Amino acid sequence: LLQAFPLPSLPRKQPTVLVVCGPAQNGAIGLVCARHLRVFDYEPTIFYPKRSPDPLYRDFTTQCEKMDIPFLSYLPTEVQLINDAYNAVVDAVLGAEAEVGEGREPCAAILATLKHIRIPIVSLDVPSGWDAESGGSGGISPDVLVSLAAPKECARRFLGRQHFVAGRFLPYDVQKKFELNPPEYPGTECVVAL
Amino acid sequence: QEEAQAIDQELFTDYKFSVDQLMELAGLSCATAIAKAYPPSSFTTSQPAVLVVCGPGNNGGDGLVCARHLKMFGYLPTVYYPKRPSKPLFEGLTTQCKKMDIPFLPEFPTEAAFIDELYGLVVDAIFGFSFKGAVREPFGSILSTLERVTVPIASIDIPSGWDVEKGKADGLQPDMLISLTAPKKAAMHFAGRYHFLGGRFVPPALQEKYALNLPAYPGTDCVLQLT
Repeated sequence: LLQAFPLPSLPRKQPTVLVVCGPAQNGAIGLVCARHLRVFDYEPTIFYPKRSPDPLYRDFTTQCEKMDIPFLSYLPTEVQLINDAYNAVVDAVLGAEAEVGEGREPCAAILATLKHIRIPIVSLDVPSGWDAESGGSGGISPDVLVSLAAPKECARRFLGRQHFVAGRFLPYDVQKKFELNPPEYPGTECVVAL
Repeated sequence: QEEAQAIDQELFTDYKFSVDQLMELAGLSCATAIAKAYPPSSFTTSQPAVLVVCGPGNNGGDGLVCARHLKMFGYLPTVYYPKRPSKPLFEGLTTQCKKMDIPFLPEFPTEAAFIDELYGLVVDAIFGFSFKGAVREPFGSILSTLERVTVPIASIDIPSGWDVEKGKADGLQPDMLISLTAPKKAAMHFAGRYHFLGGRFVPPALQEKYALNLPAYPGTDCVLQLT
């Protein structure tokens, strides 16, 4: 996020970012992302309507709360409110396991709202609501896609401004076994722009 | 030392960080700092070979994480890990290293000269800020050998064998110190070339509570070069 939207470039006076977290792993990644955004001096706000019972993810929630990251109790359906309050939205609603979550509430309502916002969306791993392989038509159109570990099949349909790969932890034998051919990360960076 | 332990306690008890989370961030900081100060091209050995010596506690765990990231950054780390706690955390970290083809030495090199010959850098991940009292074997002999090594040594958090507050004038003299979270009192006695700060995870409220007065990290870097 910092590479795509550096602090000095943000249009709003405050470096506010809305992080929308779904009920499963993609949402948990969003929680961790929000915490680091706070360390990087952004002002994240989280919307996390359906909280996972997983103790690890519950702890991620506590870490965010203790770092004074506010949690919204509802997502405004009035899109202009979101456009006005935040510089960007991090879409951490659904990942590659999407088929399960997409049709169900509250994800469906969230995605319906996100489709209409005008501020940039940064999607984590898979634009939420897209099929992980074939992509999505009529779904959200993120500005930035951050593929985790390696790009998913649906990334071919990504039409936004910037595509990053992040998650520099794949051992070489896993990369070879699955023929992933990830790009080379520069130096000690954990993110690479494609 | 007590303050450092109190901060750790709050991070685990109030903030609910797991040891795994913070150890991963700490180890990554160490590897990043090392990569900045000793890029692979700077090694005089034909390969960027690094010896990572891991102690029996969390400092050793930091070393295992560091070794794994050094491998990802293109170095050739080798680990010496004589006393392994039988806890899932450390067993997991060991497996991750082994599965990434990081060799584990069965014995510690007997002569400092052998270390100088084979490796361009040694990472000291033996004892950390909880260290108190006497050094137990095999670490006494290991430290004696390391004190005679001429290649640079990078110590994680506290140069091993030093008193956490007062240092140790006749002890290990590392070239690099990576202070985790905040520099400890012993850092005042550090005389090496590179002092980095790592462990960029302390929440602002905690920094204020303990008046840490940490300088700002650049951008998204997980390390800050202090000297």
